[in-house]
Amino acid sequence: MPAISCRGLTKHYGSIVALDNLDLTIEDKVIFGFLGPNGAGKTTALKIFTGLSRATSGKAWIAGEEVVSHSCSLQSKIGYLPEEPAFYNWMTAKEYLTFVGRLFSFSSKEIKTRCGELLELVDLSRDASRRISTYSRGMRQRLGIAQALMNKPEVLFLDEPCSALDPLGRAEVLDTLVRLKEQAATIFMSSHILADVERVCDIVGIIDRGKLVVESGVEELRQRFAHPVFEIEFEESAAPLIGLLESLPWVEKVSSEREDNVFKLRVSARDVATAKAELPRIISGSGLTLRQYQLVLPTLEEVFIELVGNKRD
Amino acid sequence: MSSFFVLFRKEFKGQLRTYRFLIVVAVFFVFGLGTPLLLKYLHALIPAEETVIGIPEFTSADAVQSFISSLGQLGLVAAILVAMGSVAGERESGTAAITLSKPVGSGSFILAKLAALSVSFGAAIIVGAAGCYLYTVVLFGNPGGLNFFIANLLGALYLLFCLAVTVMYSSFVKSPIAAGGLSFVTLVAIAGTAGLPGIKYYSPGALVSWAENVATAGGPNSWWVLLVSVVLIIMAIVMGWQVFKKKEL
Repeated sequence: MPAISCRGLTKHYGSIVALDNLDLTIEDKVIFGFLGPNGAGKTTALKIFTGLSRATSGKAWIAGEEVVSHSCSLQSKIGYLPEEPAFYNWMTAKEYLTFVGRLFSFSSKEIKTRCGELLELVDLSRDASRRISTYSRGMRQRLGIAQALMNKPEVLFLDEPCSALDPLGRAEVLDTLVRLKEQAATIFMSSHILADVERVCDIVGIIDRGKLVVESGVEELRQRFAHPVFEIEFEESAAPLIGLLESLPWVEKVSSEREDNVFKLRVSARDVATAKAELPRIISGSGLTLRQYQLVLPTLEEVFIELVGNKRD
Repeated sequence: MSSFFVLFRKEFKGQLRTYRFLIVVAVFFVFGLGTPLLLKYLHALIPAEETVIGIPEFTSADAVQSFISSLGQLGLVAAILVAMGSVAGERESGTAAITLSKPVGSGSFILAKLAALSVSFGAAIIVGAAGCYLYTVVLFGNPGGLNFFIANLLGALYLLFCLAVTVMYSSFVKSPIAAGGLSFVTLVAIAGTAGLPGIKYYSPGALVSWAENVATAGGPNSWWVLLVSVVLIIMAIVMGWQVFKKKEL
């Protein structure tokens, strides 16, 4: 049984189509990164999955249960962190988690134990008795993760958990997510920060203008959607090589740059096998002094730009 | 139902921690004490040579009537100010989205807010009425315990009506200011109908004039006003709940 699935999920806000016929199947116990530019429909999908918003058409199932707006049964199975979590600022973190525990009808003993565990997990134990109003953004985000985990959810929804955080705050939250991997829940994380998704997610779905562009594993995505690049560094100018390489049929693109006294060439190949065989021979024949030669896979960012950017062109 | 008690507890604690409870109680207490004091010493405050019309000698009934009247006007404003952000403020800030992503019914969410506000205003009326009764007895003589009690009970019902209407509007819109504006216009219009022939026998606005009559031991009982007010309070709660249930958070 998939942890999350939806068929034909569509959401209209007046004439704006926020989600367009979204089909998605996410297996149990994976971290799914839902990528897309701002306004692509990520938050809309997330709100429908958590029952906080209604789809115009289509259906969704979470942990085997059909999503119905404000369903207590569904909400006892999920955890949710909004993009900018808001709390009752007059409470302390401990009081807030106790309040959340009570909403799940936990006993006082269970609440005490769970609060201790969660505050430890998100590294807020020392600040648990401070008012939330005094918390930094990173601390609020971590408290948001803690409240979402109170009921040991089968599926955890995180909406842009690292957006608007400074580098230190981002690192704190990502560290927490990496630790969460060990808790074996399914995590659905929306983000437009590719590096974050690359770091923690197993599977990625890319959405643009309400439509799912692709759904795949991170590595598989790199292999499928972007051509490998050969990075070659010389001690002398590589200008004579550029023209030659550009004329070859198995070369797609050549770019060059100079950094101090190092001349770099980036060669994208249409036919990687031929490039692997031919490039060393061409370099050797050029008489240039080789510093470095490597085949690099594209980053998720390059895949993303290729998929989303190409569609927009 | 358990989520109702958890939410009620949170609401009431929030009112204590943010001093809203203290402020409401203090305002009513000051009015409770101040009304009989003001009437007693009005002669001293305004010298006879400065008045065109002579100031009459006030009685304990006048003191109680004046307090009930203040309850209707001041209470209306206080109810709107305190309740207008109850639901709208949570939607605006985003706290409602997190709370309602837990197993919480939207009915419990609305009802807990109204219940906590009612308890605060109930406590404020008790404190204000106690102050008013004490000073009235000391300065004018006993106003009659039972009538005073019933008059305050009717005043409390009127404030419950004001709170229910304000919470209802607060669940309709996302802006506390808009909720406050809508509530003010509605409640002032309803208060105005208390003077209209025909309608005044059914308008919740007539609760205050009925309470004043009870305080001065004169005038008929208006049971239809009581019935209509209770029905409208229930309708406001149900409408607030039903509309809020359909809102996207």
